[in-house]
Amino acid sequence: MKRHRALPVAAGSALALILAACGGSYHATTQSQPKSAQTFTYDTYTPVMIDGWDPATEYSNGIIAMSLMYQTLTHYNSATHQIQPELATSWSSSDNGLTWTFQLRHGVHFHTGRLMTAQAAQAAIQRTIKENGGAAYIWGAVKTIDAPSEYTLIFHLKYASPLDLEASADYSAYIYDTQAAGSGGNLTKWLNTPHDAGTGPYTLQTWNSGQEFEVILKSYSGYWGGWSGAHYKRVVFRVVPQDTTAVQLLKSGQVSFIEQMSPTLWSSLKGTSGLKLVSAPSWQNLLGQLNTRALSQPVRQAISYGIDYKGMIAALSGAAIASSGIVPAGLLGHFTDLPNYSYDPAKAKTLLNAAGYGPGKKAMNLSLTYTQGDTNESIVATLMKSDLAKLNINLSVQSLSWPTQWAKGKSSTASQHQDIFMEYWWPDYADPYSWFINLLETEKTPYFNLSYYSDPTLDGMINKVEPLVATDRTAAEQLYKEMQVRILDTAPILFLYNSNYQYAMQNNFTGLQVNPAYPNVVFVYDLKPTGS
Amino acid sequence: MTTYVARRLALAVVVVAGVVLLTFVIAHAVPGNPAASWAGPHASPAQVAAASKYLGLDRPLPVQITRYFAGIFTGNWGVSIHTHQSVLSNIATAAPASLELVIAALIIALAVGVPAGLASARRPGRPADQAIRAGSILGVSMPIFWMALILQLVFAQRLHVLPVAGEYSPNLLFTNPLTKVTGFPVLDALFTGNWPMLGSTLTHLILPAVVVAAYPAGLISRMVRAQILDTVGETHVQMARALGLPERDVFGRYLMKLAWSPVSAAIALVFGYSLVNTFLVESIFDWPGLGSYAVASIGTLDTPAILGVTLFVAIAYVIANLIVDIVQAVIDPRIRLR
Amino acid sequence: MIEVPEAPAPAPSPAPVAAQRTRGWLRSNPLLAVGGAMSALIVIVAVLAPLIAPDPGDAGSATHPFDVLKPPSAQHWFGTDQVGRDILSRVIYGARISPLVALFVLLIACAIGIPLGIAAGYFGGWLDDVIMRLTDIVLAFPALLLALALAALLPPSMTSLTIAISATWWPWYVRLIRGQAASVAGRPYIESCRALGISRRRIIFRHILPNAITPLIVQVSLDVGGVILTASALSFLGLGAQDPTPDWGLMVSEGQTYFTTDWWVVTFPGLAILITAFAFNLLGDGLRDLLDPRRVILR
Repeated sequence: MKRHRALPVAAGSALALILAACGGSYHATTQSQPKSAQTFTYDTYTPVMIDGWDPATEYSNGIIAMSLMYQTLTHYNSATHQIQPELATSWSSSDNGLTWTFQLRHGVHFHTGRLMTAQAAQAAIQRTIKENGGAAYIWGAVKTIDAPSEYTLIFHLKYASPLDLEASADYSAYIYDTQAAGSGGNLTKWLNTPHDAGTGPYTLQTWNSGQEFEVILKSYSGYWGGWSGAHYKRVVFRVVPQDTTAVQLLKSGQVSFIEQMSPTLWSSLKGTSGLKLVSAPSWQNLLGQLNTRALSQPVRQAISYGIDYKGMIAALSGAAIASSGIVPAGLLGHFTDLPNYSYDPAKAKTLLNAAGYGPGKKAMNLSLTYTQGDTNESIVATLMKSDLAKLNINLSVQSLSWPTQWAKGKSSTASQHQDIFMEYWWPDYADPYSWFINLLETEKTPYFNLSYYSDPTLDGMINKVEPLVATDRTAAEQLYKEMQVRILDTAPILFLYNSNYQYAMQNNFTGLQVNPAYPNVVFVYDLKPTGS
Repeated sequence: MTTYVARRLALAVVVVAGVVLLTFVIAHAVPGNPAASWAGPHASPAQVAAASKYLGLDRPLPVQITRYFAGIFTGNWGVSIHTHQSVLSNIATAAPASLELVIAALIIALAVGVPAGLASARRPGRPADQAIRAGSILGVSMPIFWMALILQLVFAQRLHVLPVAGEYSPNLLFTNPLTKVTGFPVLDALFTGNWPMLGSTLTHLILPAVVVAAYPAGLISRMVRAQILDTVGETHVQMARALGLPERDVFGRYLMKLAWSPVSAAIALVFGYSLVNTFLVESIFDWPGLGSYAVASIGTLDTPAILGVTLFVAIAYVIANLIVDIVQAVIDPRIRLR
Repeated sequence: MIEVPEAPAPAPSPAPVAAQRTRGWLRSNPLLAVGGAMSALIVIVAVLAPLIAPDPGDAGSATHPFDVLKPPSAQHWFGTDQVGRDILSRVIYGARISPLVALFVLLIACAIGIPLGIAAGYFGGWLDDVIMRLTDIVLAFPALLLALALAALLPPSMTSLTIAISATWWPWYVRLIRGQAASVAGRPYIESCRALGISRRRIIFRHILPNAITPLIVQVSLDVGGVILTASALSFLGLGAQDPTPDWGLMVSEGQTYFTTDWWVVTFPGLAILITAFAFNLLGDGLRDLLDPRRVILR
């Protein structure tokens, strides 16, 4: 399940955390926490490991911790747009893009002590494909995997696909020790004890499920990157649902980094000594999926013209930036010269009138659902309601918990379906494919395509585009452009805005690189603590 | 005396049974698909059916009712949909925090309300009386959630004299870990001699307790005043005055005793009311009690949990009332004869 | 020189006497006076909302995204909220909501409570027992809790809110009316009426009900404040009014996230709840002092 990532909650609203879910002690750990400069405390607002501990199926907030314990074959550097070596040191593909050969790094050990070989990597990826959870679809092109020698991994594909890029994904691309539970042991159970079977710089020390200090990681002494120089030796993930409390903790030096807070609160921290504020565009956008079965194309276009996008962005005080098409800036397929919609109530009115609706004619009643607990979405919903009211459209807005919202959208009873499904989306790897394959490809039973959009022409284009990325990048770009022009015309989705990361952190370390390919992940190993 | 206690006890049992039935009816009158919520969004129809079976939802209604009743008394209050743990264990973990808050609030309310009521009744009609009466009415008119936010902003965020949220400073978990004795952080810190933790729990308790104490303080003050003014006109008091007993004695010995009767009745009443009031402030102060649990359950439409909490509070209320009734009967023999 | 005696002082005109009497009454019923005045003011504000509010549209679906979270100023006395709406206008329109909910709830509570109370008090016997056990059970739930449980299980709306609160409020009225009915029904003259063959209905309407009115009025006026607080608490938890309804509890809830940086979004609606509950509580107290003959009030 694509976990909806909601913005910090207002206390009293329903995403409150149960801080006492475990019966028993207060979970005072027996380890003392060194109040040294060697601990990095990451403050998040929602529990970290809610999807469990299996790197094959993780599909939620857990990557902020998992990406420190586990690694992938390649790593995407969003600043340079380069795919960098990680567990693989070099790779190449055949001309037709159907065979990919990876040379693996020597001397890498799993936290279980075993050596990482091509066979181990092969086993991990094969298991991930078999488990078919999370973003396993990224391996969809893989036909077979061979490990002809200790450090050579060969993929044979059914169709051309940019495997080097897919191997750098933030979900379902981790390499882990499938033998960790021993022969005949149940790996999933072993992992969920919890244990970790990764190769990363940090390894699991304690998990206090449901508690404030939820995850504590310690450095793995045998890490292949070594520990020379200044590094953080311990990472603590602290769950604080209220952003105002988090800010207090930051100011008093008790946390190093805050993942998310309300835009006004973030702005109010400007100029505070000892703190650093970082604002950076993400690859996450807020979309409103329009029910194509209930709303005709002219009506959908009218709604697209009827939203005050600039107002929305102004109201969100820096948390949002204008979007162009469906692909955010920094990714292949982003274009600024697309026929995007702008706020044009006159045009909206004309389109609606032609369909018999609009001011002066029949009133339209639409329903919108968004995820509970997200204050930005609730502001957007209120603004949309007011914008559409001017067009004689009554928008009824419902905030639901993510599982409820999603279940309603996926319901087999079509009458249950909402007219507008508001949610965030971000890619599973540095490629626009994720938006199209998940949100726009025809689905027999609704899953993520909650516009219930079915467009055979677009389906054909979707099928063609991924192999093209591997073989002819320019052609792939062109095709992505055509696809976006098409969906702007048919308007199955409202493109509301792109999210801006707004991070606040201590001033006592350097080396932070915001990488939208790994949303909200801080690669703590790369940070250099500079002071107290 | 024993017949009185037995009668009250029997009545309490009937009421609790009625409470259980009512909560069950509410739960099942409401549309929704708890099996689907339980199984989660990935679930296939087969998994939803299995969840339905696991939750016992596929049985006929009378069977469900009997199982529910049996469950209540054997400790099986269902499984919380959003924590996937037993509702009773969730409640048992969360309840001490709420109870601690309510008890602290009631102590503050008594400490403030009783003297205020007495002072107010001493010279009725005078400015002091009017002021205290206005203050009491203000106390019972206060929107608790708003008061919590305002106090938190002023004292914690701006003046930094009190902590913002939480039961105690989480850092102390590492340096002075708290061992669980009673489940109440303040008491545990006291009994284990964990002074840093004791200080921390007490300072964290101040703001939430003061907020929750507002309503009971106002109520108690008014009740004390009313009771005293009611009895002041009565003959035996006039007799005492006529005999020349000093006002202090009249007040202290005769009236005070009579003031306790409605106060003790009020305590039971405000206990239930305050317990529910804490729900409103717990999320504001990150207090890990029943309120936070209830709010989380409401957000995820976790019916078993909502009902479990409702049941727990209702039962606590019935027990509180029972205790007060018995105590009052002990103090005032006339009641037993009724 | 003959001194002309001065004309005798004219008799004091009636107006000053009335003024004196009013002043005397006010001084001896300060609660009622102040409470009554405040409550009347709130009702007037609610009725005249469209005329008083500077931006009536803001109480509805209007938004001003370029003016979000502006602090109090000359243009917006109470500032603007997170979608740019004028808070003063919304607070003014909010005066229409809370008292109206209280009115409906108490009407429903009376509608249920009076018949049941009379049935229990007048007829007595097993009917009395059954009804009283029923009320005991409902009363075992603190009002807010039962309302919370119900509201959480119903789709959130003002209607659900009203239903949920009414469901918890009626038992008090049953008890109250029952007490009155039972005490009147036991009196000798009622027996005489019955002996004379006067219909039960007449007895109820002409003897029992009128006696119950006074305590009923007192109870209702005392309860208005309580219902307003309960309703705002439920809206605060998201179980009642939904955006864009300018319900005060909802406004406090929505403003929480911004409270530390934009204090006005929470402060003014909350203050409105406090003042309204306070006003009606004062009124209720004053009425009780005035109408309840059993109270010995020393001034």
